[in-house]
Amino acid sequence: MSAGTTTAGAGVTDWSRGVPLRAGDWFIGLYQPSPETAGFWQAVRRHELVLKWCAGCGKCFHPKRIVCTDCGSPDLTWRRASGRGTVYSFSEVHRAPSSDFAGSVPYTVGLVALEEGVHLFTRFVAEPGPVAIGAPARVDFRVLETGQLLPVFLVGTAA
Amino acid sequence: MADTGIGNAAAIVGIGRAMAWRDDPDGPKTPLQLGALAAVRAMRAAGIKRSEVGALFTGRTPQSYMVLQYNQALLNELKIGPTFNSEVTAHGGGALGTLQLAALALHAGVIDYALCVTNEASGIWMDQVGSNAAWEGDLQFEAPYGASTPSLYAQFACRYMHETGTTPEMCAQVAVENRRWALDHPHAAMRHKGPITVEDVLASRMIASPLRLLDCAVWYPGGIATAVVLTRAELARSGRHAEVTWLAGFGQCSTHEWVGERMGGWGFAPLEDGPNLVRTGTAVAAKQAYAMAGVGPSDMQIAQSSAPFTFANLIILEELGFCPPGEGGRFVADGGIAYEGGLPFNTIGGYLSFGQVAQGLYNLQEVVDQIHGRAEGRQVPNVERGIVHGHGGPMACHSVVIVSKEPTR
Repeated sequence: MSAGTTTAGAGVTDWSRGVPLRAGDWFIGLYQPSPETAGFWQAVRRHELVLKWCAGCGKCFHPKRIVCTDCGSPDLTWRRASGRGTVYSFSEVHRAPSSDFAGSVPYTVGLVALEEGVHLFTRFVAEPGPVAIGAPARVDFRVLETGQLLPVFLVGTAA
Repeated sequence: MADTGIGNAAAIVGIGRAMAWRDDPDGPKTPLQLGALAAVRAMRAAGIKRSEVGALFTGRTPQSYMVLQYNQALLNELKIGPTFNSEVTAHGGGALGTLQLAALALHAGVIDYALCVTNEASGIWMDQVGSNAAWEGDLQFEAPYGASTPSLYAQFACRYMHETGTTPEMCAQVAVENRRWALDHPHAAMRHKGPITVEDVLASRMIASPLRLLDCAVWYPGGIATAVVLTRAELARSGRHAEVTWLAGFGQCSTHEWVGERMGGWGFAPLEDGPNLVRTGTAVAAKQAYAMAGVGPSDMQIAQSSAPFTFANLIILEELGFCPPGEGGRFVADGGIAYEGGLPFNTIGGYLSFGQVAQGLYNLQEVVDQIHGRAEGRQVPNVERGIVHGHGGPMACHSVVIVSKEPTR
């Protein structure tokens, strides 16, 4: 991940608009990959979707998890996800949160329910569509409006 | 829950408020100015001295006054020396949480008086529409997708309507009823806009499907501080205080931080089935509060919620026990919260039409005012007790407080 889009400092995306938020050290882990999420963003660069995995429980978790919430193990490792899931919930955004996204409205954000039992917030792309609860979705990787490469989900095909 | 005797163990004996607006002729005010003013007014109403404040609990740091440990800034301003002193930060749900921690300390007998203060003036100092997504969304895993605040709440709305068959028309009825009440409140943000109809809501522009403009809370164009002085039962009965309102019961339940990480059963009671996008911690908090007070939903003459979207109010009405789960839409469509004849709900206009100040105790103050018959222009007859729900976003933190004119047991 390039420093310009993910680290505090020059070129950082200011999500606050309005009165600019001053992203000091206390925002580490919010604006940028933190130690527990760096592996996720490294995988995204390789166009791979990975999740946290507990060897003891065999359960997958959201990429941010630090400990297994079942057994308490701190030894979570990265495991590649199938990239397949279904649309759990969605919203078509008509008023963008900032000027970065204003040129793209309407676009659809939502929660994908992955086969591994993990839900991720994402961008849904209606290819071939349409976006509807329960529709099959598979991962793709796109550079979105802020210039950041992100996992998105194409809806309408399980392939 | 075991009966610990904490229900009715504390009471509100002083309440103070300070307000300011964006276009005040004498210039803008900070949350700290308003908070200090409200605190002084509450102490004066209670008839207590600075030296008697045993605890200071504030809501979270105002977004428009970002200092670490806001409680310290306020304490310094008031020159008080409390034993306990802290921000209570379950997002907006922390506001009512201040009273709950106060009650614990008072019930234990380690302090005599607690001062709880919430204050925010983001409507004066900030572009709330532009900045709020930075507070409500995960900056690493949600914001880069272009998530606006309404689009985060819309995830709940989409799923809730899908699972329960709730229609946009049913949701819109909440906005209609809230607006009707706002017309009676001198300080409601939308008072001057006049009444609205279901058709008006459905015709308003789409913000983030299924949420239209009139499904969304309006930001209050000003600042509000509310301060409350509480004491324990023995002192409340001492005759020293002019007005007593009992803290009959309370509860709180917080379940997650970000929408995207909400899912997945917690696997333990009472959260076996969630949280998910249609159930919240409100049911847990309300159950605690009712059990503590020894009363039920039918004993409430009034209810307030800080839920910031139409559909969210339906979920809260369900979880406060006013209708069965999933039936909020039909309850409201059938006149359940009708201005004429329904449950008096959000009688200041709610977050949709009074406006939201990001956090606060002004919904609590409304119930206290109603109980003591000074809700001018919108007085509900014979209010003995009421329930207040405080929401911390996004649908994450839920506080419930039941206040009563007389002890409920």
